[in-house]
Amino acid sequence: MPIRPILSTLHKHKLTATLLTLQVAFTCAIVCNVVFMVAQRVQRISVSTGIAESELSAIHSRGIEKGENPQARHTADLAALRAIPGVQSVAAVSYALPLDQSESSSGICPSKEALDRAMQRNSIDGSGCMEPAIYDGTPGLVGTLGLHLVAGRDFLPDEYVSKGKPAVAIITRALAQKMYPGQAALGKDMYDGDNFIRVVGIVDTLLRPAPRQPGTADDSMIFPQLPDHASATYVLRSAPGDRLRVLKAAEAALLKASPNRIIDPKQMETYSQIRAEYFQRDTTMIGLLIASALGLLFVTALGIAGLANFWVQQRTRSIGIRRAIGATRSDILHYFQAENFLIVTAGVVLGVLLAIGLNLLLMTHYELPRLPLWYLPVGALALWVLGQLAVLSPALRASNVPPVVATRSV
Amino acid sequence: MFDYYLRLALRRCRQNLPMVGLLVLTMAIGIAATMTAMTIFGALAGEPLPGISSHLYVATMDAREAVDKDNPDYKQPDSLLKFSDAKALVDAHHAMQQVAVAASLTQFARPDGKRSEKAYGLMAYGPVLQVLGVPLRHGRSWTEAEQASAAPVVVIDTEVAQKLFGTENAVGRSVTLGRRDFRVIGVSAPWNPRVRMFDVRQNQGTVMGQKEMFLVPAQAALDAGVGPLLAGECGKDAPVASFQSAAVAQCRWIETWVRLDTPATVATYDRFLAGYANTQHDAGRFVYPPQAKLVGTQAWLALNHVVPDDVHLNLLLAGGFLLLCLVNVAGLLAARFLRRQGDVAIRRALGASRRTVFVQHLVETGLLGLIGGVLALPLTWLGLWIVRMQPVSYADAAKFSPGVFGVLFALSLIVGLLVGILPAWRVCRLPPALQIKLG
Repeated sequence: MPIRPILSTLHKHKLTATLLTLQVAFTCAIVCNVVFMVAQRVQRISVSTGIAESELSAIHSRGIEKGENPQARHTADLAALRAIPGVQSVAAVSYALPLDQSESSSGICPSKEALDRAMQRNSIDGSGCMEPAIYDGTPGLVGTLGLHLVAGRDFLPDEYVSKGKPAVAIITRALAQKMYPGQAALGKDMYDGDNFIRVVGIVDTLLRPAPRQPGTADDSMIFPQLPDHASATYVLRSAPGDRLRVLKAAEAALLKASPNRIIDPKQMETYSQIRAEYFQRDTTMIGLLIASALGLLFVTALGIAGLANFWVQQRTRSIGIRRAIGATRSDILHYFQAENFLIVTAGVVLGVLLAIGLNLLLMTHYELPRLPLWYLPVGALALWVLGQLAVLSPALRASNVPPVVATRSV
Repeated sequence: MFDYYLRLALRRCRQNLPMVGLLVLTMAIGIAATMTAMTIFGALAGEPLPGISSHLYVATMDAREAVDKDNPDYKQPDSLLKFSDAKALVDAHHAMQQVAVAASLTQFARPDGKRSEKAYGLMAYGPVLQVLGVPLRHGRSWTEAEQASAAPVVVIDTEVAQKLFGTENAVGRSVTLGRRDFRVIGVSAPWNPRVRMFDVRQNQGTVMGQKEMFLVPAQAALDAGVGPLLAGECGKDAPVASFQSAAVAQCRWIETWVRLDTPATVATYDRFLAGYANTQHDAGRFVYPPQAKLVGTQAWLALNHVVPDDVHLNLLLAGGFLLLCLVNVAGLLAARFLRRQGDVAIRRALGASRRTVFVQHLVETGLLGLIGGVLALPLTWLGLWIVRMQPVSYADAAKFSPGVFGVLFALSLIVGLLVGILPAWRVCRLPPALQIKLG
């Protein structure tokens, strides 16, 4: 396909060709960045919590009876919940579950010396001390949540405390590696400023209730500490399809065990709902971003098709002449396809530069990393395909122009 | 001449309806997307208290009185102060006006117990109505003497007055807060900052300003057992302050806002604040270097990310979308105009100047823009409705206001003219002779 005639035609339609090129460039720049932002958010919302999400549900209860012993209450409640058919296991926590937002964190150091370093610098940064999220709960929590122990053991019954600090803890692998790089964390004594706490178990993953700071999302620690407040959250494990029924039954069982309590229907949820709530804003934004990317592509496709239509109409006579002097249908078809390819290519070249520029601009204003370079060729390819699809129908129409048109005046 | 062009434009629009539909719809979608994002942005981006908050500054310092080994860093300015510090700053009268405020939530009841109402409001120390510009409908604000003696007086808004007493003017009535009866000395109009500005640190994720339904002198409220909504930061060894407790003597829970009108007074006050904090540090009360700083309202909101980044991003995205729609429409218009070179050639040959040809085509695109604007109206409404349906914190900002009409009208006209400039300029530039030949 000779390019020269196409170029000279485009030269005559400088303005429209330039505008189309610009449009392709803008689309390329915006869509590349939008897709990247969608990928970022999808990555964020698909983070692993480390627990058996599909089998868990949680119900929050607040006792309002004065002078009630919370632990006796919890024990009775747990027994009542365990009796519900379909409930495989159950545990009580004070409030914290991964991604349920209410987080309690505490400073902890690998050794006494590390704490002294932190005090000296007036900052825990670089001292080796960490600030993990703290989980508490009744015996059986590790099993109920479905945590995967990679080393050590679960807590022993006599290790549980109701008041004061426990002497042992289970930590996540991520936390273990940060506290004791290159060493086995199991059996080590961590120091919290007052007491030593021994690591007796390491779990694979356990996400924080509110992972905000990047890089610390998986720094968590479980204490064998019994919930000690009138309010507690009961975690129930059952078959995934059973959860809604089990929640209803749990509410009834709890109210039967003691009517003097408040169960907020909003805090009676399957874990899937808790997770969806946490990422609500991200899912909304993903929907919006995808909708606008599709809108952009659609508008661009419309523009390409519309303009090609115009050109075909305008050049009907020249097409007829070309056909009359021997051009085949596929020659005409290829002519329009090649023309579109040239315009889109020019647009893509400009668009790639714009995409990088836009990414740099977004990086300065939002927490957005650098656009991976492989997005650019993929974006270019997508626009080439889009352009060819959009131009196909007008180009086919052009190829169907009969040679006899050459003899008519248009 | 204008109405002739308009008639010409209308006639031409009818000639190629599918193409006109495409042009108009593309513009409408771009305009609607921009209008939706702009409406939300406009509702959130401005000042929380128009005309007032730009002169307001919040005092921040690291006022911790005990070593916090879990978190020794002071990375973000902290506005929470102990009541005693806030009082000292307000009583110093170093600014034009100053007030200490904390959010509260409490039950209002008629002393006869017949009606009660839960209400959000502010506990304040200082002339809160004047500083924040809360409009008073009836009665008065509290006096310095009443504040000093912790007299049980309260200002409620018309809605609470209406609900409790069935009348707006509840001045002189008694109302029970906590353990005591308070006298209503003033009734304010319903009032809320446009976006949240108090207690922003403890309210991450909420964007819209809280409607403050009552204002009460802080000491009188504490005496009656009514505490702040959040106990704030209590010392590690302090007795645990439960939810809405009034036992907050050990806690930092109140913010100090000052009004300063000129950069010079801001600088002076900044020095005064640093001096106060450093004195406390030197005396051994504040254990960390206080790094006291005065932060303006807008800076404070930005620092605490009150308006989510998503809102800015949406606006950027919508702007990009509109830009693309414009380029698209301009391309199609250029093609459309150039196809009619013959008509233009005849007009030019008959003596029309370039200018009139240019104007004629701009009238046509302006008309198309306005039609696009009319189409964009229901689309904008739809867009705002979709945002309102989303469970996002700023959903309430997505309201269709009368101002939207004006902006929409202007935007569609600008869009129509903007897209027309290039094509119209292109078509009026060809010499008449060439155009006849081409035709």
